[in-house]
Amino acid sequence: MERVLELGGYSARYCGRLFVQTGYSVSRVKSSPKPGWASKMAMNLFLDVEKQYLDSFRQDLPDSFDVVIVEANSADEAINLGIEEWKNAIVVVITPFGLSGPRRNWKATPSTLLAMGGYTQLMGDEGRTPLTLPGHYVEFQTAQYAYTAATACLFAGEKKLIDVSMYETLLSLSQFTTVMWSCSGMVRGRHGSDFYWVVPSNLFQCADGWVYINIVPTFWDALALFLDRPELTLDENFSDNTLRMSNRDAIHEIVASVLIEWDKQYVRERATSFRIPAGVVQTFDEVLKDEHLRTRDFWQTVEDEDGAAYSSPSLPFRVDKSDRPKLKLRKTVSRD
Amino acid sequence: MSVEGPLNGIRVLDLTHVWAGPLAARILSDLGAELVKIESPLARGPREPTVEPLAGWLGGEQGEEPWNNMATIVKLARNRKSVCLDLKREEGKQLFLKLVEQADVVIENFSARAMPSLGLGYDVMTQHNPGLIYVSMPGYGSSGPYKDWVAFGPTVEPMTGLTQVFGYSPEEPRNTAMALMDPIAGTSATNAVLTALRQREKDGKGKFVELSLHEAGVSFNGPWLIDHQLGLEQQSLGNAHPEMCPHGVYRCRDLRRGDDADWIAIACENDDAWSRLSHLLGCPDMSSWDLERRRNQADSINEHIGNWTSRFHKHEAAETLQEHGIASGPVSTGPELLSEPQAVDRNFFVIYERFDTPIPGNPIRMAGLDSLQWTPCPSLGEHNELVLQDWLGLASEDVEGLLSNGIIFDQPPV
Repeated sequence: MERVLELGGYSARYCGRLFVQTGYSVSRVKSSPKPGWASKMAMNLFLDVEKQYLDSFRQDLPDSFDVVIVEANSADEAINLGIEEWKNAIVVVITPFGLSGPRRNWKATPSTLLAMGGYTQLMGDEGRTPLTLPGHYVEFQTAQYAYTAATACLFAGEKKLIDVSMYETLLSLSQFTTVMWSCSGMVRGRHGSDFYWVVPSNLFQCADGWVYINIVPTFWDALALFLDRPELTLDENFSDNTLRMSNRDAIHEIVASVLIEWDKQYVRERATSFRIPAGVVQTFDEVLKDEHLRTRDFWQTVEDEDGAAYSSPSLPFRVDKSDRPKLKLRKTVSRD
Repeated sequence: MSVEGPLNGIRVLDLTHVWAGPLAARILSDLGAELVKIESPLARGPREPTVEPLAGWLGGEQGEEPWNNMATIVKLARNRKSVCLDLKREEGKQLFLKLVEQADVVIENFSARAMPSLGLGYDVMTQHNPGLIYVSMPGYGSSGPYKDWVAFGPTVEPMTGLTQVFGYSPEEPRNTAMALMDPIAGTSATNAVLTALRQREKDGKGKFVELSLHEAGVSFNGPWLIDHQLGLEQQSLGNAHPEMCPHGVYRCRDLRRGDDADWIAIACENDDAWSRLSHLLGCPDMSSWDLERRRNQADSINEHIGNWTSRFHKHEAAETLQEHGIASGPVSTGPELLSEPQAVDRNFFVIYERFDTPIPGNPIRMAGLDSLQWTPCPSLGEHNELVLQDWLGLASEDVEGLLSNGIIFDQPPV
């Protein structure tokens, strides 16, 4: 079994988690946790189960591993660890801005990276403060690239030093912000929850919560039936997406007036029968109890050091209906 | 004809569309896999477009072949060969299955019932190629009560729980309106392909890989879901952070570009960063405040920061804050992303496309990967002959016959 060594923050830890879940032996050098969006216990249970903990790092440690995942706060911090000397392993170095460039030692957090990476400009309402994204999207997405890169090198049998930056990860995951500027001269901005280019595509309040409706043009007639307003299909003000964009407020008013009377369950049932793209806002409690996820055996049991069990998301992909084994937090192992 | 990389020799049939799937395919192609995009005759729209595409046309105009010129498609389709065939016709289906026999991976992100209804489910493909890795990316998976739900990124997002914590406040939830589940599913799919390839190396067997957009999104919310079981309830904090204060997005001096983007994100990760910031703000008396006190005084601190940032353009403010070792970043628009010194210095946006259109690069950097080798998005069906000859040994006249009989295409039908 190939061995993976992991040093550093949430991105390295998520990458290590991916290796654990796909059958590798992962050792983690303990470090002080950075500020997180959930409790330390939750982060440990989510990220670190089945990892062997090492309480200290030594320069010769990487030599005994096939893959080394390092997350550092800056390029200099990474280089000072000695990464360029670790020639016997695939070494993936995760930093906020990469190992070169004028910002390579800039201080960053996920929120400052989301701002620089073009995300914050798109989230929230026009004219109001832009919103940053809660959670660890930046670190986890970077970890996904790190895993892909390391696994590709394992596949090819190549030992490489791989430089993955969180900033470039975000730049690479832009849907169309830059090409919209390059090709149309348009600066993409904020539209609240409204996707804007297809109407309606927005978050609406219903009787017991919220529902998102996303009506690309081919779904307009079905939406009218879903709303029990078949006459809308004949209304010349709404006959194509361009007109619906021009009459966006009127459409939103109609949809809102209908949905406010319905509860989430009814919206979902009706959306299913009329084949409408609709999703309800689920609380974390509702997600954990979600019948669909349970039926699909999505949850994985993780245990803390005392044997208390929790449901944790498994990998989002499944190879040949693979099992979801129970995983456990281990105690720290001292190397000396 | 693939670029050099660790996945050289891996042949992928790419049936993906929109965002999540093409993103996964782009990453695989950047790493050297040989990608053949299998496209339906109308995959890029009709010959005469009826609407302006979302991000416009390359070069600003639709051109003589508008179907080949849509920015959103082009952006995700580098290093690809295009074979355009009609999978609804039996001959097209048989041709596709012959290509499957030569492939390592088939990847698609249609609804769960699309491929089986064409008679091209995994069970059929594996009969033609037992070593095949088949990746299916339906919105809610191919089983369970939601399997037939219509799924787009923005409608899946609230189903994952994210909306409970995203917005201006618990009373004002927001959707990211960015189809955020798509890029999560895209990178997850790439991980899935690599995982399956490594497993196949060991056991020599083909693999069926299923990935749902929904589960990809839920997986990123794991820490909150475990917190909920620990009795710790999470709710929207706006731009605040549970373990950092100050943490927010602040208005800067107006650059008068009319882009509603004169903002800067600032975050203090620890007491030291706060101490430096408080001095910069001219409030040294606050410098010893610990996190709890800062949280209690967050409104006042945010007001001080807002007053300070309003005196500077966002880039000036960021430079000054960084000089003092404080995490900060200006809110960037499309044009600013392209001109940001870090991206420019590392040549992140690459010009290989027509009209010198800059396209986002590959965040995986290592020796042996070179964006100078990248090739632009192919035109529809551009490589019909090349692939059918190279992979299947068809003669030119055979390919010509397929074209004239409407099995393969090199432009959308009239």
